[in-house]
Amino acid sequence: MKKIVIALAILLLFTAPWIVTAPFFVHLMIMVLMWTVLGASWNILGGFTGQVSFGHATFLGAGAYTTMILFLKLGIAPWYGIPIGGLVAALIALPIGFICFRLRGPYFALSTLAVAEIIRLVALNWESFTNGPVGLLITTLPDVTFWGRSIDWENKIPFYYIIAIITLAAIVATYIMSRTRLGAYSLAIREDIDSAEAIGINTVQARVTALSLSAFFAGVAGGFYAMYLRYIDPDAVFSIALSVEMVFIAVVGGLTTVAGPLIGAIVLVALGEIFREIFLVHFKLVGHLIFYGLMMMIVIRYLPEGIWGKLRLKFGSRH
Amino acid sequence: METFVQSIVSGLLTGSLYAMIGVGLTVIFGVMRIINMAHGDMVMFGMYGAFLSITFLKIDPFLSIILWIPLAFLVGVFIYRFLLRNIVPAGELNTLLYTAGLSLFIANLVLLIATGDYRTIKLKYAIMPLRPFGIAVPIPLAIAFGMAILITIALYWFLVRTDTGRAIRATSQEPEAAALMGVNVGRTAIITFALGTALACGAGVLLAPSLYLYPTVGEILVAKCFVIVVLGGLGSVPGAIAGGLLLGVVESLGAVYISVPYKDAIGFVIFLLVLLFRPSGLFGVGKS
Amino acid sequence: MALLTVKGLTKYFGGLRAVHDLSFEVQPGEILGLIGPNGAGKTTAFNLIAGFIHPTRGQILLDGESISGMKPYAVTRKGIARTFQIVKPFKKLTVLENVTLAAFLRFPLRGEAESQARQVLERMGLGSKIPALAIDLTLSEQKRLEIARALATQPKLLLLDEPMGGLNATEIEQASGLVRDICKGGITIIWVEHVLKAIMNSSNRVVVINQGEKIADAPPEKIVENPDVVAAYLGTKKR
Repeated sequence: MKKIVIALAILLLFTAPWIVTAPFFVHLMIMVLMWTVLGASWNILGGFTGQVSFGHATFLGAGAYTTMILFLKLGIAPWYGIPIGGLVAALIALPIGFICFRLRGPYFALSTLAVAEIIRLVALNWESFTNGPVGLLITTLPDVTFWGRSIDWENKIPFYYIIAIITLAAIVATYIMSRTRLGAYSLAIREDIDSAEAIGINTVQARVTALSLSAFFAGVAGGFYAMYLRYIDPDAVFSIALSVEMVFIAVVGGLTTVAGPLIGAIVLVALGEIFREIFLVHFKLVGHLIFYGLMMMIVIRYLPEGIWGKLRLKFGSRH
Repeated sequence: METFVQSIVSGLLTGSLYAMIGVGLTVIFGVMRIINMAHGDMVMFGMYGAFLSITFLKIDPFLSIILWIPLAFLVGVFIYRFLLRNIVPAGELNTLLYTAGLSLFIANLVLLIATGDYRTIKLKYAIMPLRPFGIAVPIPLAIAFGMAILITIALYWFLVRTDTGRAIRATSQEPEAAALMGVNVGRTAIITFALGTALACGAGVLLAPSLYLYPTVGEILVAKCFVIVVLGGLGSVPGAIAGGLLLGVVESLGAVYISVPYKDAIGFVIFLLVLLFRPSGLFGVGKS
Repeated sequence: MALLTVKGLTKYFGGLRAVHDLSFEVQPGEILGLIGPNGAGKTTAFNLIAGFIHPTRGQILLDGESISGMKPYAVTRKGIARTFQIVKPFKKLTVLENVTLAAFLRFPLRGEAESQARQVLERMGLGSKIPALAIDLTLSEQKRLEIARALATQPKLLLLDEPMGGLNATEIEQASGLVRDICKGGITIIWVEHVLKAIMNSSNRVVVINQGEKIADAPPEKIVENPDVVAAYLGTKKR
């Protein structure tokens, strides 16, 4: 039964842009998928190991800037740049993890915030490398032929498929993790770190591994972000608000669940669009942030296992 | 040499306000293990409060503190009693996330109402700085410093000499023992949170004439103040004061001797360096 | 050769001397009881052996190999498992998951780890509780879970930290039997305890610690006669 549902979901995933063709909705779906990847990425660390990171934008930004710089300065096409961006993010996660995991719980969260802020300030000021506050812009994407047809980058559909594949990868990775020793160890760490050490779990190694995996997907999503939106600057990709939105998706959707990030992303993007329409004020499209904050409070208070988590408990299944 | 002394003085002045915010944060931390991500937004409230006072009520911002501190105290009571108290049993992590949501909510609500335009407060008596011994001391900052000291002394008296203050200190060290000794832990919690909020708001009022006001100023302030609190030691009031002053001085020196744009990063870099070499914090208590 | 050798073990917390020049050996296959008045340093000694804190001075050798300064997970991998005085189960996980996690150490694949876990749980009498959440168990069951978890790491040496705390007389009897069974299964045990009757009845040898120092090291019958031990527990009469 479950396999049928999954198969249908995947079918839907890959045919959606032919069902709903209006560019605005395709854009919405792209954003939902991108945020699902970010939520899944955060979930790999926060949901599984219980380490709350308030600085995940670091990895998104690292992926974004890597992809952009590789393309603009070295001519490496974004479809290579995106996975490389993910790897770069995964690599910087290693020293970050070794430093920050010396702290626990809220102290850890704080240290990730500190790292994110430092990197944002560096990106803002190291103009020769990142162009500083001016940001980086892609004017044209390289020509690619796919089965004899040239990809039209003005159309949203190619982007949809790229992010759809990435999303599938992220969800599959989360699922695999939940079935392996790393996933189980992560849950133990989340429950009681001392007990986990006592039964032979190298908690630093496990956490750093989870962080690295998490960072990889955030970096990949960042690379996609760069390629899709074609413009990035330090405040767009390294901001605390971005980090908090990632937390939001994972929390609202449901920590440790595999499908949670998708639900959270749908809520985030749907709310965002609704309130963007109502509250489009000045330059900062912020009305939706008010409601993210409110939703976060409501969910923590009344639905701490998240929307999907709650539904899952009601219907008794595992994922 | 003169630049150096000037730097230190400026740093101490700003640092005294960091210290005030930090004390509010650490006291809430220590007694209730609440990581209040919305603490910076309380400072922001104070700043806007001061702005409103001078713009609409024509009252000098420093005088308006008499109005805003009690008001902030009441807001703190409200927030704790009706919002936070239900979340605390769910754990530190959930509280952290909840207050993060609260912060997002408050900051953006204010952004919606007040717009993101940077605002400043111009005081007629504050155009020229004082120059004791040739060191430039901006008048608003000097007044803020003075008042911060007075408030700190008052706080010290409160914590050490009054029953409620002692209850706060006891609960922050050993909540169960304190409860067994007859301390009304629930009431102490409310008062502590309200006190911390009032301190933050007060610091905001004092800071307003010296900084740019914008609704999301809370974000970076709360990050810096957590750095102070963690380095100075969770729950330690002297630690927060020392940490605040230190951060102020370090940022000031950094702005002069390293570079201005990176000065905000300095606090964080030091934070991470300390973590690397002394995981238990500068004064000994860094882990939860 | 002794399984565990502790030589000159010393730990200072700032100026506070918790353990001083502690030395003893544990032979393979024996049950060593560790007793002493409150605050004597027993749990500190445990934490030192298990790697949760590191000694100021002194050595800890397992099978002749130094383990002082190793992190807890490394110590467990070497073959020392411990329980905690106040039980720390993974509360929101099931009984089976709790023990499977520990079994993962020696059996990296989920299937094998789970079947190992089931075996250990059966031996501990928790077979019927396998699907239950750890938090729903009684204290006595949680203590058995704690031990099951430790056993699933296939230790050579098991450190039991006051397993009898909070148990009634019947449960103490059962638990003592359990400890003896574990030892018969080939695992060496160091056992810290306040319930003296239990420990005296089951231990091969007893080490008495007072104020961080060893004051006696002998079989149980000799220990009760030792005047220093009596004095440590009861104080000396003032004449």
